[in-house]
Amino acid sequence: MNVREPQRNNVVTQSLAQIGACGLFLLTLLAAIPRSFRYVRETIRQLWFVGAMSLTIIMVCGLFVGMVLMLQLYHVLSIFGGTSASGMVVALSVYRELGPVVTALLFAGRAGTSITAEIGLMRATDQIDAMEMMAVDPIAYVATPRFLAGLIAMPLLCCVFCAMAIFGGHLVGVTWLGIDNGTFWSNMTAVVDVHTDIVNGVLFKSLAFGAVVSLIAVFQGFTTPPTSEGVAYATTRTVVASSIAILALDFVLTAFLM
Amino acid sequence: MTQPVSQSPDDSTLVRVRGLTTVLNGKTIFDALDLDIPRGKVTAIMGPSGTGKTTLLKHITGQMRADAGEILVNGENVAGMSREQLYKMREGIGYLFQNSALLTDFDVFENVAFPLRQHTQLPEVLIRNLVLLKLQAVGLRGAARLMPNELSGGMARRVALARAIVFDPMLILYDEPFVGLDPVALNQVLKLIRTLNQTLGITSVLVAHELEAVKQVADHVFLIANGKVVAQGDPKTIASDGSPWTRQFFGGEADGPVPFQYPAGDLAQALGFAGAAK
Repeated sequence: MNVREPQRNNVVTQSLAQIGACGLFLLTLLAAIPRSFRYVRETIRQLWFVGAMSLTIIMVCGLFVGMVLMLQLYHVLSIFGGTSASGMVVALSVYRELGPVVTALLFAGRAGTSITAEIGLMRATDQIDAMEMMAVDPIAYVATPRFLAGLIAMPLLCCVFCAMAIFGGHLVGVTWLGIDNGTFWSNMTAVVDVHTDIVNGVLFKSLAFGAVVSLIAVFQGFTTPPTSEGVAYATTRTVVASSIAILALDFVLTAFLM
Repeated sequence: MTQPVSQSPDDSTLVRVRGLTTVLNGKTIFDALDLDIPRGKVTAIMGPSGTGKTTLLKHITGQMRADAGEILVNGENVAGMSREQLYKMREGIGYLFQNSALLTDFDVFENVAFPLRQHTQLPEVLIRNLVLLKLQAVGLRGAARLMPNELSGGMARRVALARAIVFDPMLILYDEPFVGLDPVALNQVLKLIRTLNQTLGITSVLVAHELEAVKQVADHVFLIANGKVVAQGDPKTIASDGSPWTRQFFGGEADGPVPFQYPAGDLAQALGFAGAAK
């Protein structure tokens, strides 16, 4: 007991142990992907749950992010007489950073927590053990479908978020503040590059964020102590760890992709 | 350490445990435990709380690995099995969890059908008939479309039992099947355990605290304490065998071989009285 006490209290050691365990869990998850192909229906069900059910929050938030961004940019750019570039800047900001990052943060809050809580409660009520006893691999049946669903849903949700943000920007910039509609679209299409902004910015980043958030959510669910307090802590850890991982990974990806 | 045992137990023994040693968080749960579960009988495992009864069931199913010793189920060593072999063995074992562990996303019918859908390619009509027969056996065919949260504790346990017997297993493990049941539900579960044992010849192992219930259903009782079997025998006579263990456990005495106080240091010293340490 005396030997273990300092280790438990050492935040760095504990964090490193968690990261190591999460890495090993990822290997288990990846190894279970071929076995999970027989649970395609479960993957589709999870895709509906984490993807389609997150659409409302993603669409509403995307709309308002675009609207606020346009409003702010318009007032700043009007000082220099560059309001015609507002649409272009909104598009670049949304595609390169805000779209993937805000979608991932919202996804962690909406879907990540529910995945963790669901799996945690399944553990607390012995449902995971019951599957083991029925010779059903819970990693292949429970974890992998949720991981794959998150991986697939995130880029799609990010695309929806970006579309809504551009729509919100157009609504404020063109309809309300009077920017010319043709200028808004032509500046945007002239600057936005499909490879740099859409493939690297939207798809690649959101795919990476989807993998990280889903992994953390599933890992926290599977490793939570099977108590109500444990589930509460695990859902909190999912949001905290996902948020940190998203922002840190965003910096790394941006540095490599730019 | 591991003791050498025969690799081919005689036909009358389905589960053979030899030299089972388990240490969890520094506490010895089993200390070279030996016991045999006879085939085709109902065997009860009893003992004080925290003595490792559920852990023993988990060792038998391979959910937990022991530190030493061997467990042979139908002649095969559980400890040496791969994951695939363990899963194969578990298809022949039913396990009734204390809290039923029904899958909350599925209704009663789908819960019972779950193992069939996962492990067979049976046509839907056959699955339907099998599930309805199992539900009929536990008296809940009419509840097939209820969700788990609409069931009482006793009903949930019977559904879990229907699910456990859906493959007609050779062995059923019951983890505290009588806890929290009213007298009617208790008698229903008792009747089911006995009927399944007699009609299907299923070997049953039940972990329980209720001697009166155990007397009605079990053929043999093991009393486990301090990591070992401290008494065993016929459930109707074991309480009067005269040992301090059985006297305390079945007599419900607060103190005895199982101490009332959890091991702790000197009370006076803990309270900080001067000179208490001397």
